[in-house]
Amino acid sequence: MITIDNIHKSFGEVEVLKGVSLEVKAGEVVCLIGPSGSGKSTVLRCINGLESYDQGEISINSRRVDTHSKDINDLRTRVGMVFQRFNLFPHRSVVENVMEGPVFVKHEPRAQARQRAIELLEKVGLGDKVEAYPSQLSGGQQQRVAIARALAMRPDAILFDEPTSALDPELVGDVLTVMRDLAAEGMTMVVVTHEMSFAKEVADRVCFLYGGKIVEQGNAQSLLSAPQHERTQDFLRRVLNH
Amino acid sequence: MDFADISAFFPILLKGAVITVQITIGSLLLSTVLGLILALMKLSPVKAFAVTAGTIVNVIRGLPIIVQLFYIYFVIPELGIQLSAFQAGVIGLGIAYSAYQAENFRAGIEAIDAGQIEAAKSIGMKSRLIMRRVVLPQAFRITLPPYGNTSVMILKDSSLASTITVAEMTRAGQLIAASTFQNTTVYTMLALMYLALSLPLIFGVNRLERYFGKGVKGAGK
Repeated sequence: MITIDNIHKSFGEVEVLKGVSLEVKAGEVVCLIGPSGSGKSTVLRCINGLESYDQGEISINSRRVDTHSKDINDLRTRVGMVFQRFNLFPHRSVVENVMEGPVFVKHEPRAQARQRAIELLEKVGLGDKVEAYPSQLSGGQQQRVAIARALAMRPDAILFDEPTSALDPELVGDVLTVMRDLAAEGMTMVVVTHEMSFAKEVADRVCFLYGGKIVEQGNAQSLLSAPQHERTQDFLRRVLNH
Repeated sequence: MDFADISAFFPILLKGAVITVQITIGSLLLSTVLGLILALMKLSPVKAFAVTAGTIVNVIRGLPIIVQLFYIYFVIPELGIQLSAFQAGVIGLGIAYSAYQAENFRAGIEAIDAGQIEAAKSIGMKSRLIMRRVVLPQAFRITLPPYGNTSVMILKDSSLASTITVAEMTRAGQLIAASTFQNTTVYTMLALMYLALSLPLIFGVNRLERYFGKGVKGAGK
């Protein structure tokens, strides 16, 4: 479904992606792990065209991702994104945040979009916060609204960019539960995360990035319990033992 | 100061006050439109727009308002365009303040977190829709308090139009004072009448500031 073929990307002089290739099949959950600066968030941002890439090719369902093409807006409606800092629209209520895309991008009738937004909010456990404003919610609640906002577009896949990194530890669980449910329903997900236990439990595949390359990838269980590469072993030792 | 003087002067000053308010509203509207255009030009990715707007803003800010008024009132007619003193006053103040408005608007738009734009993009919104639905509504809240302050300044600086013979409140006061020599009475009344116009505006701005400060704080956290 998502095909990344040997992409390179530089910010000025610094080459942050040095030939990354990755194939994500429909229904698959892929976790990207690695130390900060390894390029995992950049890979994710290239997939929906928030960053451009210099070489190689990314395609979604055989359509090329090009930041500067007209097609990009349509591609983005098919691939949702959830951000580390939630990025909810602070001037709109929770339900309006979720309705925004369906109403203004997909031109769905308001009443119908609202009905579905409420259903999605119930699904993520926020049926009682429909009319609240983002500033009245905890981080974990805001992130679940952000997930509902992505789901409202009925995407084929959702990208998660460190969705729990900005949360207080006690709020992480609720967000992961929602993500676990999505994975169980067969949503295609690419998740940049530091939550190793989540990766182990939910991911079909884990990719370890280091220095702008995928150093090692494989089945979540085997990669996390028996990493082959020295860099991976070193990284996992650090994150698991703190 | 006696009561007969006050009641004789008041209607004349009040007539001036009406013109003061008209100039203020007229130049506020003009400066808003011009300021918004200049701000969007300044933020445009097209470099020629940004440079042009930047130059215009600097030239306007570098000139005294009174010189701009003289220029519009005395020089423009020589180019064959006839303007009444009132029109010249509104246009002059509107242009003079468009530079400050442009800076207010630009600051408001730039204060929007980049994550807001990314979130909007990632649900497939096009840049014009992002401007309309995400950036401008938030920039509006940020811009309101400085916008209010600018309106207070325009109200006060509308008195400069007296120098190009517009019969607004200050001019009315000058004329009464010159013919009656009741300087104390006239200028005290004038000052009080300006305060009667500006203080409610200032209080209104303060309230807005408090009201909108609440919503914006904690946004996106």
